[in-house]
Amino acid sequence: MTLASAPLGVPVLLGHADLPPGRRLRLAELGLRAGATVTVLRRTAGGGRIVGVGDARVAVARRVLLTVPAAPVEPGPRPGPQG
Amino acid sequence: MATTSAGPVTRDRAAAARPSVPSCHGDAGGEVVRDGRPVVALAGSPNVGKSSLFNAVTGARRTVGNWAGTSVEVGTGAWRAGVLDVAVVDLPGAYSLDPLSPDEELTRDLLVRADPAERPDLVVVVVSATDLARTLYLAAQVLEHPLRVVLAMTMGDVAARRGIRVDTDALAAALGVPVVAVDPRRGTVTGLAEVVRTALAARQPVAAPPADAPAAAAGSPEVVTGDAFDDEELAAADRRFAVVARAVAAATHRSGTARTDWSDRVDRVATHPVAGPVVFLAVMWAVFQLTTRVAAPVQDALDGLLSGPVSGGLRAVLGAVGLGGSWVEGLLVDGLVAGVGMLLTFVPLMAIMFCLLAILEDSGYLARAAVVTDRLMRAVGLPGRAFLPLVVGFGCNVPAVSATRVLPNARQRLLTVLLVPFTSCSARLTVYVLVSSAFFGKHAGDVVFGMYVLSIVLIIGAGLLLRSTLLRAMGTEDLVLDLPRYQLPMPRLLAAVTWMRLSAFLRTAGGIIVATVVLVWALSAVQVTSGRDAEPVQGSAYGQLATAAAPVFSPAGFGDWHATGALLVGFVAKEAVVSSWAQTYATQEPGDLHRPGGLGASLRADFERSSGGHVTPAVLAFLVFLLGYTPCVATLAAQRREIGRRWTMIGVGLQFALAWTVAVAVFQVGRLIP
Repeated sequence: MTLASAPLGVPVLLGHADLPPGRRLRLAELGLRAGATVTVLRRTAGGGRIVGVGDARVAVARRVLLTVPAAPVEPGPRPGPQG
Repeated sequence: MATTSAGPVTRDRAAAARPSVPSCHGDAGGEVVRDGRPVVALAGSPNVGKSSLFNAVTGARRTVGNWAGTSVEVGTGAWRAGVLDVAVVDLPGAYSLDPLSPDEELTRDLLVRADPAERPDLVVVVVSATDLARTLYLAAQVLEHPLRVVLAMTMGDVAARRGIRVDTDALAAALGVPVVAVDPRRGTVTGLAEVVRTALAARQPVAAPPADAPAAAAGSPEVVTGDAFDDEELAAADRRFAVVARAVAAATHRSGTARTDWSDRVDRVATHPVAGPVVFLAVMWAVFQLTTRVAAPVQDALDGLLSGPVSGGLRAVLGAVGLGGSWVEGLLVDGLVAGVGMLLTFVPLMAIMFCLLAILEDSGYLARAAVVTDRLMRAVGLPGRAFLPLVVGFGCNVPAVSATRVLPNARQRLLTVLLVPFTSCSARLTVYVLVSSAFFGKHAGDVVFGMYVLSIVLIIGAGLLLRSTLLRAMGTEDLVLDLPRYQLPMPRLLAAVTWMRLSAFLRTAGGIIVATVVLVWALSAVQVTSGRDAEPVQGSAYGQLATAAAPVFSPAGFGDWHATGALLVGFVAKEAVVSSWAQTYATQEPGDLHRPGGLGASLRADFERSSGGHVTPAVLAFLVFLLGYTPCVATLAAQRREIGRRWTMIGVGLQFALAWTVAVAVFQVGRLIP
């Protein structure tokens, strides 16, 4: 699963983004780095997503989302999407 | 880890050689004038409130301009920090010292690449209490260099409302630097002044790097740029993240759990795949209406005042001293007053535009607009937020050029500034309506609509052309955008930002506008032939210039001096095209365009003559050229302020070449159609 296919409202654990190092570091600076837990909150026009990183919100294009592996943090019932 | 001294804060740098990289101590425009005051640089990630802090500490004593040799905007100002006067530099927002844009590169260069003697005497790294983990990364990286560092923490009140409390003492202990809580939006920055003054008094750098922080290359200017990373640098970044995580854990106390707040609720609509574009269009409509319709009555009133009482009064005074009807009267009334008048009529327009921009920026909506329009704008290699200046351009190109300041990347700003003139401003509409009504009757509306469609086509075409030629190196990066929380704009900050940008515009563009209007007056006033011409205006330098230039437009079917003269005047302002025709055809006002002997009849006769009978394609070609070439001298002045003389001239050439080529194509193809 990648962030592009991550269900809305479910915390997911990120893996290493398949991007050039500089771009990967920028994602990391914004909180989207391997080992971080984030939540995909909403879809946007053009296939992107708004991702919740703690209290911050980051808009990410679909092509970038596809490069970021993600796995659900915990199994069990999922809360409903926030938006 | 380097621990070398940054030296005494009042050191004499007069003898220092000009560095090969930017420094904070130059004497050129956009830099801090070297006068012995210590230089304090404000650094921080986007949206942490850095510019609010800059505004709060500098008050009205500041200037904003492009850093010398770059197109990156930097604010500089004076700050009375307690009993100490310091110069403040508001560096472009940067997430780290690993730049991915020219703006971030300048921040990196000024902080760690400049000669050590030319670096700021102290760096205030601004961090946000609501987003401490992310905003501390830059601080952690700055701390690896031999710089005096103070952390200013903003948004403590917002964090508190969300159940987050940051212990500044614990944070200071964890990072080894002073940390001060500030609230620049409410002007609460006094604690920072004392800490800065104390830190500047120290001869050794205040910052002691946190244990196990990656070591900076002491004495070396080599800092990794963009994609030139290797595993070692990525490992260093990981160690910084670990330092930050420990500092955050030591200083942050959370009560309760994060919950969806009103900012998220607004975003459900503002960034929604369907509702988001609708909201965006509504906002753009409002911006367009406010910048044109609200400003219009004020502009008219100013114009009426200057062309009526002011000009009339001046004529009366000159008449009383025996200069009535002389060239002095012409210069003062038709040149100087008209030029200043034209400049002043832009003031309400620009003030409204700058205020709206500040509202959109400060409220946080601009970032959402960028998300909504991102996919559309990437067709020409621009990010979503470039949509805003282009929309504004359909009202007036001058504020639109200035509105490109919403773009964080200098290359994107450059491309957008070059594209703005292709947006069909309202001044051009007056000419479309006159010409279309005179030549196309009931189809006039279709022609005007077609001009707007063509305007969009030209924007896309010119964008693709520039991206594949002069701006090939400009990358296209997929959207990854930090969305600031929504907040109510503060009137005090809006007023300060609006005034700062307006005064900067008047300083830069004012001289060019006034000088050009005076020049056109002079050309019209000087008679260069002895009256053999059928019309008096043709005998002026202006008329002769138009006659000489007319053959350039023969391939487009309007190689006539009247049409060419109108285009020359249109270079100054499109509003003057119609009055220019009225003057050269010796008629008062357009009036009934279909009246025998009126302006419409004169235009038809000339187009008939210049096009060899192919009037329709010639008129369309004229309109196309009018749409595509330089909008007005005020736009040029605004462009020069934003992108410099060289790129402005390149833009003028591009506009002329594109406009002429398309106009010729329209005429040559059109005349083949029976």
